[in-house]
Amino acid sequence: MTALGLDPVVAQSLVDGLGQFLRPSTLFSVLVDGLAKSALFLMIATGLTLIFGLMGVLNFAHGSLTMIGAYLGGLIMVLTVSQGTPNGTRLAVFFVGLFVVFGVLAALGGVIEVGLIRPLYDRPPIYQILLTFGVTLVLDELVRIVTLFYDIQPVADWQAALGTKPTWFTDPVDLGLASVRGLALFEILFGVVTVVAVWAFLNRTRYGLVVRAGSEDSEMTEALGIDVRRVFTVVFALGAGIAGVAGMLLMWDKNWGASVPLAAETLLPAFVVVIVGGLGTFRGTVYAALIVGLADAVTTWWFINVVDLTFLPEVVVFAILVLVLVVKPRGLFGLAEVGGH
Amino acid sequence: MSSDADRREASEEASRERHASRGTETDGGTTADAEGETPAESDLPEDYGSGLSWPARYAREHVPHLVVIALFAAYPFLHAFLLESPVSAEAVMLLPDVDTMTAVLYFGLFAMSFDFISGYTGYLSFGHAVFYGTGAYFVVLTANGKVPFLPYDAPFLLLVVLGGVLAVVLSLLIGVVSFRLSGVYFAMITLGFSQVLYVFVRDWDYVGSSPRDGPAVVGPPDATAPAFNVGVPGVDALNLAIGGLAGDSVEGLFGFVNLSSTEVTYFMAGLVVIVCYFAMQRLVHSPFGRVMIAIRENEERAEAVGYDPFRYKLAAFAVSAFFAGIAGGLFAGVRRSVSPDNSLFFLVTGDALLASIIGGFGTLAGPLYGRLFDESVREFLSKEGAGGGLLPYLRNHLPEGVLGADIFGGLTVQEAIGAFLNGHAALYIGLLFVLFVLYVPNGILGTLRDRLGATVAKWAGARLSSGGDGASASPSGED
Repeated sequence: MTALGLDPVVAQSLVDGLGQFLRPSTLFSVLVDGLAKSALFLMIATGLTLIFGLMGVLNFAHGSLTMIGAYLGGLIMVLTVSQGTPNGTRLAVFFVGLFVVFGVLAALGGVIEVGLIRPLYDRPPIYQILLTFGVTLVLDELVRIVTLFYDIQPVADWQAALGTKPTWFTDPVDLGLASVRGLALFEILFGVVTVVAVWAFLNRTRYGLVVRAGSEDSEMTEALGIDVRRVFTVVFALGAGIAGVAGMLLMWDKNWGASVPLAAETLLPAFVVVIVGGLGTFRGTVYAALIVGLADAVTTWWFINVVDLTFLPEVVVFAILVLVLVVKPRGLFGLAEVGGH
Repeated sequence: MSSDADRREASEEASRERHASRGTETDGGTTADAEGETPAESDLPEDYGSGLSWPARYAREHVPHLVVIALFAAYPFLHAFLLESPVSAEAVMLLPDVDTMTAVLYFGLFAMSFDFISGYTGYLSFGHAVFYGTGAYFVVLTANGKVPFLPYDAPFLLLVVLGGVLAVVLSLLIGVVSFRLSGVYFAMITLGFSQVLYVFVRDWDYVGSSPRDGPAVVGPPDATAPAFNVGVPGVDALNLAIGGLAGDSVEGLFGFVNLSSTEVTYFMAGLVVIVCYFAMQRLVHSPFGRVMIAIRENEERAEAVGYDPFRYKLAAFAVSAFFAGIAGGLFAGVRRSVSPDNSLFFLVTGDALLASIIGGFGTLAGPLYGRLFDESVREFLSKEGAGGGLLPYLRNHLPEGVLGADIFGGLTVQEAIGAFLNGHAALYIGLLFVLFVLYVPNGILGTLRDRLGATVAKWAGARLSSGGDGASASPSGED
């Protein structure tokens, strides 16, 4: 491993690396890569932040819901798409699949909330963490049983699902300054749509108003005659559904892919994004996703091209978490009273 | 933080050391002669209670402890006996191996240390694996001659304690930052710290040629791997090496007891765990432990009464890290290898959490039973059936007709067991875990104490309130 010492050769390679990094084409492709990563982080974290903001439940099962979404989405694609299916049809199937995945996971989320989490609202918040942690164990093992039963390797990425991408997304796209992965652009688009949709839901609909009121002060909201418990169920279902949609998107990305460990792989960055942004603020989550995604992309570029420190990108993600919590204990945009228990 | 505060911290540390060392002496004595005879010496005040000599009183107060220790001590013999008996097939299927029991012991210690901070102060230390991993890696790296200033063949117990001390240093660094936060934020920042270290160690090629799989104890390049001895320091005859193949075996103890190296490992690991348990148990029942519980129940009030919660939390965190480090060292000593995924990963903390909830959160001893339960179920449903288990038993004892019978769509009974039971213990443990959280929030031991508490606690409580408080108040009387 290259030591980061005062070795002149190393210093020279770092300077060269910096020069290479600052070239417009490199910066541009790193930017696109970073935005794509941000979009994915955002998709994973959105459901988590909605649920926490309203209900104060830190949902440990979120990663498992994403993972189930990935497998379910993969299943839909693999069953309907064959070798000769044209690109347009593949994309159309994907969008139909999104609705199915969203529906199934929202239903699952609703069942979990009503059946398991609802009895625990009177207990200390630690019990909700514990319960959802238990749910994770069960869901992961169930998926492992099912995949093994159908002879799919649960630990490795599901290659058949990866192969259902339209060729538009596998071929590089030339954007003048640099050519980028087609899938990256698709992911960025998806992220933007998610931000706009969730923002519109929270700020432009009656139900969103209720959700925001519930986040602010659920007792007062209840006193005003709104059935907060039902809102809880709806938001939990919504969050689970978004997690599933995120999973379906990840299923196509070769950096992630559908696999059982995907649950833990997505849960941890999702936590980081939500905590860095401040628990319960959607705006904070968006900014945090951008910061974490871009930092990840930049460090990934450096470790691939200049320094041989494989752990760099992952360490940076968690270092951001620690740093932000040290400087701003409530996260970047966190309110003092949200999650203050 | 002022240096004044640091000094107070240090004095607290010292008072804890006194506790710990006392625990060591008394319990070492208690276990050496198994059924709680006279421990050699003690610094308990002489005016403790009245009437009986103090060891007799101590033994009477700890009858449940002694019974449990005796059961654990008898287990290998019972296990061996049952394997020879007519029900041997059933015993192989149901009873965990001695190997598994050793794992229960060292991981149980880790789970107890997790419970010490999380169950008693209410601060969920979700990065607790970092201390376990620190202890484990410290032992393995030293034995491979990769830790400066320490000979590779330093005594194992010294390494374990030093690993614990290293974990304490780490815990103070993490704790100073993390205890500014509470609740979910605290859980997340500790998780963040532990993951940083996990990712770093996973790719740090100094630890071994394949850091992702982790190093094994091979010794330094020019020497053989050291043996890990547990016993009385300095007395060769009273030391036994632990760790499967590398461990000692004993023949003709007291003329008739023969122990395999597996059993020696079990007993020696058990010895360390007992010492650590009693040290923690003593702390939990001291005024210091009362403050921990006060912090859990109502931190503002504890502060209003005049305790500085930050100092107490930090101290509790350090103690818990120390024992987590010891558990890690023991784990490395028994397994003679370590990997990032079985020591530093956040799911290792998850396992401790699982054990704590099933056994009883905030009961200290509960996590050991939780882990015992967990490991037994895992072995019962294990894939290979290495330590016995359900599938090999059914394969041998069910008639071919039943095994081959169709359930539906060409799926035979045997295939169904293979697909849905074998190696999928996590599913059933997860289900049980959820049920425990929902319906038995106090866990096995917590519920037992609630149910039986009325009789046992009345009996023991009178003693504790007359003698226990007076005895434990004196060492940390500065608060």
